[in-house]
Amino acid sequence: MPVSADMSHSSHYVTFDPDICSKCSNCIKACPTKAIRLYNDNPTCLTDNCIRCGECLRVCPTGAISTTTYELEALQKDKVSITLVSPILYSQFKGVMPNDILHAVKKIGFHHAMDLSYYIEMFLYAAEEYIAENRITRRSPWPLISPVCPVVMRLIAYQFPNLLPHIMPIMRPMSLLAKEARANISREYRIKKDAVILYHLTPCPAKMVPSRSSFAQENSLVDRTMGIKDVYAQIIGQLNQMKKTGIEASREESEPQNISGNCLLWGISGGEIAGINSDRTLAVSGLRETITYLEKIEMGLFKDIEYIEFRTCPEGCVGGALNAVDKYIAKNTVLKMLRKFGLERLIPRDKVILLYENGWGLSDTTQDELQRIFGVYKEHISIEHLQEIEKILEQIQGKDCAACGAPDCRTFAEDVVMGKAKLNDCIMLRKRKIDKILENK
Amino acid sequence: MTAFKKIFNIKKRDFVRAGEASINVQNILKSLNMDHKLIRRIAICGYESEMNVVMHGGDGILTVEIDTGKIMLNIEDNGEGIENIELAMQKGYSTATEEHREMGFGAGMGLPNMKANSDVLKIESEKEKGTRVYMEFFVL
Repeated sequence: MPVSADMSHSSHYVTFDPDICSKCSNCIKACPTKAIRLYNDNPTCLTDNCIRCGECLRVCPTGAISTTTYELEALQKDKVSITLVSPILYSQFKGVMPNDILHAVKKIGFHHAMDLSYYIEMFLYAAEEYIAENRITRRSPWPLISPVCPVVMRLIAYQFPNLLPHIMPIMRPMSLLAKEARANISREYRIKKDAVILYHLTPCPAKMVPSRSSFAQENSLVDRTMGIKDVYAQIIGQLNQMKKTGIEASREESEPQNISGNCLLWGISGGEIAGINSDRTLAVSGLRETITYLEKIEMGLFKDIEYIEFRTCPEGCVGGALNAVDKYIAKNTVLKMLRKFGLERLIPRDKVILLYENGWGLSDTTQDELQRIFGVYKEHISIEHLQEIEKILEQIQGKDCAACGAPDCRTFAEDVVMGKAKLNDCIMLRKRKIDKILENK
Repeated sequence: MTAFKKIFNIKKRDFVRAGEASINVQNILKSLNMDHKLIRRIAICGYESEMNVVMHGGDGILTVEIDTGKIMLNIEDNGEGIENIELAMQKGYSTATEEHREMGFGAGMGLPNMKANSDVLKIESEKEKGTRVYMEFFVL
């Protein structure tokens, strides 16, 4: 058995409520890494194979699957709690200005609520710079892959390690923000860095286990993650309260943060490449499509593309499983807000380029580290096992019905060979046996 | 006797499903924990040859054989055949139709790519009868 590199590999991501679970096997079939089984009517997630994509949460018809989330703690006297707000939150409230939303978030129990705009623009500048450099140095192979979506990072480490060199080594906006926020707040309040509690309010199911969320730097950067849907009602409550007392009054209370259109657009598929000044880019969203494209890149296609933005959630982050509002409604809200904000950048290029040239924002995580952080430990089979698996498949002549509790016949055969399932669990085999008995009568 | 052998069908002009056999081969090799770089080379060769069958070859089969020390790909089709193999091996030479080019294929890199990525490459072809491409990859 492979040994996990650190404890976080064994932490549970999804939990099943066996009382609500209808044993429908939807999640088993939907899981891209075949990490769910329903042997003996007992749904289990093979944590080592799970890439935290949240697809199971999405397809479950009864709501029996949930992810681990953090509950909001009461404000502590000696600590400063900050929430880093994913821009996708703005898409959840139609017609409400981002700064008012930030104020409402702060009022539900934080000292500060921070916006991501600046760091998104910094990321875009850095990405453009890296692409331009790469045209000359060819340090990374084309196409470069966006490092933003954590599920894509895991998918690559797990299933496409060949593509690790394609990942653009720039820190994600959220990591940049987290890094800066902790340092700034501890300076401002004159407290130790560990007295700053960083929350991250996000629609992303993949970030729920913070230690595994992205490049190494980010591991310790965010302390707790919260799903948007978990605090949505509280935010709505605060917004209503603000409407009663007058939104103007609340605006005076809080310092307005500059929010850019690039930040709003970030939540929908294509929002990242829209801001990047290269023509040879692609934006791909959805889990199946992402896998198909990664397969094609592995086979040597898309060498003429410079940058590909992947989001495994449908329509981009607005399709995140922890959003409160439907993805198409959220998308509409974003696009309508964009008419007000435009796509002009708020920070001048020179400022960022100087930082970039000093190595700021460049991820120093090596590919081996990436593989270690994300690469889930897959069990490998021998060639003898492979022969046995083929034999079993021939014997079953199945229809990938998943009635046995495995997603398809091949996975079932693998489990049988590895001693995790019994061949007799296959209903196709049993049916044929019964047919034979009946014939002989 | 080879240790493992599996045959995949390739359908004529099926651009949507083209590449599926190579993906299957890749997944088998990945489950065996083969070297990633080797897998990628095989994937590229598999894909290129599959595309050739889809574009020029008519119906065909792709056979993968795994043995100690080497992996073999054998691709056979009953298509139009290659008139001049030497010419076809040249970079940029292509007999792709206008339609293929519109779809983004036909850069004339298929066979050169296969040569660059395989350890052994043998091509037999007869005009109007079909083509057989055989490749070996050494497992170090």
